[in-house]
Amino acid sequence: MNRPRETLGTKGNAQGGGAPDVRLVPGRDAVECVGDWTVDRLAGLQGRLDALPWPSAQEIVVDGSGVRAMDTAGAFFLCRTVGGLEKRGIRVSVQGLRPELERLLALIRNPALSGAEPVPVPRPGYLERIGRETWARVEEGVGLLAFVGEIFLTLTRWLRHPARIRGRIFLHEVQMAGSNALPIIGLLSFLLGVVIAYQGGAQLQYYGANIFIADLVGFAMLRELAPLMTAIIVAGRTGSAFTAQIGTMQVNEEIDALRTMGLAPMDVLVVPRLLALILTLPLLTVYADAMGVFGGMVMAKLQLGIGFGVFLTRFESAVTLPSYLLGIVKAPVFAGIVAVVGCYQGFRVSGGTDSVGRQTTMSVVQSIFLIIVVDAAFSVVFSWLGV
Amino acid sequence: MAAEFGEPVVEVRDLVTRFGAQRVHDRIDLTVHRGEILAIVGGSGSGKSTLLREILLLLRPTSGTIRLFGRDVDGFSEAELLALRRRTGVLFQRDALFSSMTVLANVGVPLREHTALADKVVDRIAAMKIAMVGLEPEAGAKLPSQLSGGMRKRAALARALALDPELLFLDEPTSGLDPPSARELDELVVGLRDSLGLTVVMVTHDPDSLWRAADRVAMLGEGRLVGEGPVDELQRSEHPLVRAFFATTHRGDAAGAAWSPK
Repeated sequence: MNRPRETLGTKGNAQGGGAPDVRLVPGRDAVECVGDWTVDRLAGLQGRLDALPWPSAQEIVVDGSGVRAMDTAGAFFLCRTVGGLEKRGIRVSVQGLRPELERLLALIRNPALSGAEPVPVPRPGYLERIGRETWARVEEGVGLLAFVGEIFLTLTRWLRHPARIRGRIFLHEVQMAGSNALPIIGLLSFLLGVVIAYQGGAQLQYYGANIFIADLVGFAMLRELAPLMTAIIVAGRTGSAFTAQIGTMQVNEEIDALRTMGLAPMDVLVVPRLLALILTLPLLTVYADAMGVFGGMVMAKLQLGIGFGVFLTRFESAVTLPSYLLGIVKAPVFAGIVAVVGCYQGFRVSGGTDSVGRQTTMSVVQSIFLIIVVDAAFSVVFSWLGV
Repeated sequence: MAAEFGEPVVEVRDLVTRFGAQRVHDRIDLTVHRGEILAIVGGSGSGKSTLLREILLLLRPTSGTIRLFGRDVDGFSEAELLALRRRTGVLFQRDALFSSMTVLANVGVPLREHTALADKVVDRIAAMKIAMVGLEPEAGAKLPSQLSGGMRKRAALARALALDPELLFLDEPTSGLDPPSARELDELVVGLRDSLGLTVVMVTHDPDSLWRAADRVAMLGEGRLVGEGPVDELQRSEHPLVRAFFATTHRGDAAGAAWSPK
């Protein structure tokens, strides 16, 4: 053991032997501590301390001359053992430790340290948790309403003072949420068109009604699937980004910084994003319509042998303008859902960075949930209206 | 100076760091001895934190060698690197506590990861470390976001100390603390060094810290080591950058002097 005197324990080179242990010294009311009392070797020690048949004398000597190394965790173990004995009315004297270990032991012996017990995290009872959860939902709902109200107030202010409109931010968001999303939306809509034509085509072929593939793809894509898919992709792609951006700014106190500089977060962060999405989502939907129908056309040609020309002629007569418009009309509503939920959840970030992740998940889940619910509501309303 | 301390623990030789065309370090040599508290100072952007990150093996220098515990870090295998990390503790500038965990769980992370101790024992040791850095036991049950900045610093220090590292790195430990808290933290670090025999490398901006805690100060400037030595010695240096650093600093009233109208 030629270790420098300054070291209390050199970890990592204590292979073999030297495991910390306690033993009775035969013939005396004494126990002997040996080995490396260091944190990485302590795992089995507690069991041996508990199992040791402690001498039943009034005074016990703990001999530490066999301790090779000790760190705070080891000293902590020793202190707690000694403390336990003393609580039973036994006087304990620790002897034979090297001076630097003695100093360490004295440091840990401070009752504030050796007596430290973890404080359990307070766990509310069932009833309290149900109450808290319920209240949290109510609060979130009310908060969302207030948020929407604030957005409308900001919008009316913008109408009265057009100079407040943040054109640059708006355009930036249009680019981020709109044109940057073209490849993914194009690809997915195309594939969706292919899938629908493929699945429907097999059935139609069975009835010899090949040409109706145009009706199938046209109605499915234009009325339902293109608006829905686009909104869901945008919720995952852009809504989550809104929450993460605003949430991170919240954690970084950037939102507070904006406020103190006299910039309203609504003006700078929320309304430009909302308007950008209300503009881009219908455009993206039109694009998805086209790509989806194109996918269907390609499949119709490959599987059913229907040429593009024939397909388009049938498409024109089958799919009416209202069907197309009904699909497009839904898009701005979906855009509102994604932007409002995304931004609102961003502002709900509080505390640390893990909250950003939580709220982002929440934002995407809520957006998609609301989109599908609203889409169903649209279907019901449209069927009432008979369109 | 070095004679009263042990063998070299950190040795930096001929270190050069370049980010693109920008030369951050231009041949730096630095040695830290066992049991010593070395403070690295320098103006903003002088490469203090970069140097620290390189010693911590979080960033690779452009050229030069770094030796830790007497071995060149370039030759370390993955397993040896892990063993090395167990022997070092780091207090990050922005505390870097895991925000989803309570303070107690944060302090327990290295213990759980690197030892086979039972959960209950880990929690007890973590509670002891929390008491050691001067936090109330109740702080252990809180999330980092529920603590003040000074308390978070202490909690982060408790985590850095969890495995009783031989080598402790502190990146601006007193920044953002009020003067009494800063003093307490410095005293804590010195106390830990005295009782545990730690080696401490701290990056700091705080002149008071130098007087209170540092055995030796290394000053970076213009990519080089412009001064090195005990703080009273360094203060007499003729180097313009060192003079500038100490120009507004007098023992005990550094912050006041810097702001008081002349």
